[in-house]
Amino acid sequence: MRLVREARFRLMKDLVLPAALKAREGRRRPGKGDPLFGPPLKCGAELKRIMARHYALAKYAKGARPVAYVTSGAPVELLRPLGFYTLYPENHSALCGARKVGERIALHAEARGFSPDLCSYARIDLGHAFSGESPAGDLPAPDLLFCTTNICQTVLYWFKALAHHHRVPLVVLDTPYLHGGQDEGPALRYFRDQMVEVVPRLERIARRDFDESRFLAALESSRRASLLWGKVLETLKARPAPLTIFDAFVHLMPVVSLRGLPVCERYYEGLLAEAEERVRKGVAAVPGERFRLLWDNIAIWFALGSLARLFARAGAVPVAATYTHAWAETVQDLDGKDPFGALSRAYGRIFLNRDLAHRRNLLLTLAREYAVDGVVFHSARSCKPYSIGQYDMRGLLEGELPLRTVVLEADMADGRVWSQAQAETRLEAFFESLER
Amino acid sequence: MSRRAYAEAQRAYGRRVAAVFPARYPPEILWAREVVPVEVWDPPAPTGEADAHLPPMVCSVVRRGLGLLLDSQPVDLLLFPHTCDSLQNLSTLLPDLLGERRPCLFFYPPRGADGAAGRAFLLEELRALSRNLDAVLGEPSPGRLREAVRWARERDEALRGLYDARARGELAASGEEFYRMVRRTEYLWPEEAAAELGAFLRERAGSRPAGVPLVLSGVLPAPKDLLSRLDERGLVVAEDDFLGLGRRFPRRAPPLPDDPLEAAAERLLALPPCPTQGAPLSSRVAFLEELVRRSSARAVVFLALKFCEPELFDIPFLAKGLEERGLPALVLETEPGAETPAALLTRLEAFVESLP
Repeated sequence: MRLVREARFRLMKDLVLPAALKAREGRRRPGKGDPLFGPPLKCGAELKRIMARHYALAKYAKGARPVAYVTSGAPVELLRPLGFYTLYPENHSALCGARKVGERIALHAEARGFSPDLCSYARIDLGHAFSGESPAGDLPAPDLLFCTTNICQTVLYWFKALAHHHRVPLVVLDTPYLHGGQDEGPALRYFRDQMVEVVPRLERIARRDFDESRFLAALESSRRASLLWGKVLETLKARPAPLTIFDAFVHLMPVVSLRGLPVCERYYEGLLAEAEERVRKGVAAVPGERFRLLWDNIAIWFALGSLARLFARAGAVPVAATYTHAWAETVQDLDGKDPFGALSRAYGRIFLNRDLAHRRNLLLTLAREYAVDGVVFHSARSCKPYSIGQYDMRGLLEGELPLRTVVLEADMADGRVWSQAQAETRLEAFFESLER
Repeated sequence: MSRRAYAEAQRAYGRRVAAVFPARYPPEILWAREVVPVEVWDPPAPTGEADAHLPPMVCSVVRRGLGLLLDSQPVDLLLFPHTCDSLQNLSTLLPDLLGERRPCLFFYPPRGADGAAGRAFLLEELRALSRNLDAVLGEPSPGRLREAVRWARERDEALRGLYDARARGELAASGEEFYRMVRRTEYLWPEEAAAELGAFLRERAGSRPAGVPLVLSGVLPAPKDLLSRLDERGLVVAEDDFLGLGRRFPRRAPPLPDDPLEAAAERLLALPPCPTQGAPLSSRVAFLEELVRRSSARAVVFLALKFCEPELFDIPFLAKGLEERGLPALVLETEPGAETPAALLTRLEAFVESLP
């Protein structure tokens, strides 16, 4: 049976889905384009193809591959040599938010007693688990939940609930929070030792031996993809910026959910080439760029389009973000000499797992390097580790650099807490303050 | 005597005072250095100034805690166990962005510490906390840590005695009286705490007040007047699974290795299952079921603290798991304000009336 499923999976992966997606693309009429923006990125079509194929293929993975649900900050390189088909619930919830169905799906979880005060990504994902509802089609249930606490503790509680619901194993890699001035050694060693400890368990779940050469190849692939992603982000230092951070939020998807796979590297090679070409030719993402901005926190997925237009109308271009930067920040730590140690450094040192002094320095560095005029803090109701501290960060940044700041109270995926009119008023006042 | 007055008296006596945030930490290491841990759970502090620093979705425990620290307090150092994302950020907000000058120490109890890596890291964390305290206060006198380990065990023993007597129905104390006593352990010097708990147990030997026995679960018994409202209605708290109370002492005496830091680690590892440590839901259901069984309670009531993610994520499956085992469960959303809302009491009364 497994062989049949494997054959079907390969057929869908290599022949049927690529052909079907190409045919669908051929039927699409090219959009007229929006005069507020420069020409759309050509890579956008490739991104859609890759992500559509990834989600479409997922339903054929069940039975052919072990399926793992993975947190965005988890060292997925451990799963690649074991052949896991990986899905990212955070990514899926963001997709639901962007398609404006997040609230509806979250209601399935709320109806089962999950408080509306909980993280919207988690509520949407649990709602999906209870109802099967998804804009991405029929997604397979997991065989493994693979969770790392470097981005927040919420994922631990959330994945624990998923494990209970699906009755599947949960692997937690615990990553102690790093305070400045403390010796990082024991925390990183602990993270490393857990990864070493967990390999035999993963082998049992995957029913396959851990192949070290494939592990090293995945690690190298991740390193290259993260480097390419970092270089893409660096192109936004150009004036005019060749793409905006709102574009980057979307083009971030492969490095989050396909890391360690050749498709991810190939995608960013193409995106980087296109971004560099735009820089050479002076193609602006927003013609008439006037202000350059830094964004702090996750995107407001359901309002991404309306915010992009609002910003563009004012000539305001978000050119950097702590969020997009996170997938390139620690790439220098990924080397193959001590692969488990490299993973512990690369994933243990991400900025969300470090103190607010580090965050302040990161914001200051990005603000200087990208020559921004202002900072937009998205205070996300769902995300405590990202949002607590922002109120005071504003004053500190304004005290150190000649820039303005604004706080948008919102959420990444639950539109019920969002007031478009209120946000517009606040942002218009902010843009006016940038004029002065 | 209030916590503040007690802290001032201890300082006058020559001890230092540490404000300790929830929830799990090794008090032995502080006591050994003549430091009185005064825990910060639900201080009656104004939150106005804290509100300027915290977004709206932060729970009242963190909000009130920050409010307290922004007010002048007789505190020499601060200890932040890593319990949740909000406390994690508070632990860095104060020193890194708000200019807190008092020493801020951190303690990270590992999640899933039953593996070899987790145990090793827990010991490493205990050593690091000891070193950091030494840097601030100097090393403890020889043998003092071993003595402090003994105090912790004696206090745990006294708490077990009190909880066991209550569960057996052999404690003639109202809910309000019981928790007024037990919550004094959040700041009393351990020898005083053990003595007071022992005296309370002796003085209150007798039958449990008449009424419907319940198990409560949550962070704390809140709002402030909740226990007296329950007492008035004949609702008897027979056991609890509160983060700040029943989940903070081992229900069975843990092993006692010779090395005092290893003993402190064993004590922490023996604590009841808790969502802040990522305990599996099955272990939590089993623990609640055991509390119900041993106290002959008729139901479990979850007091869900608004915005408290570790608790809120577990509650739906816990309530369902209990109901599948034939144990009625009720979930009530609470805030640690002064008064219990009438609607909450009405729901509770209706639930109790519906019990088989």
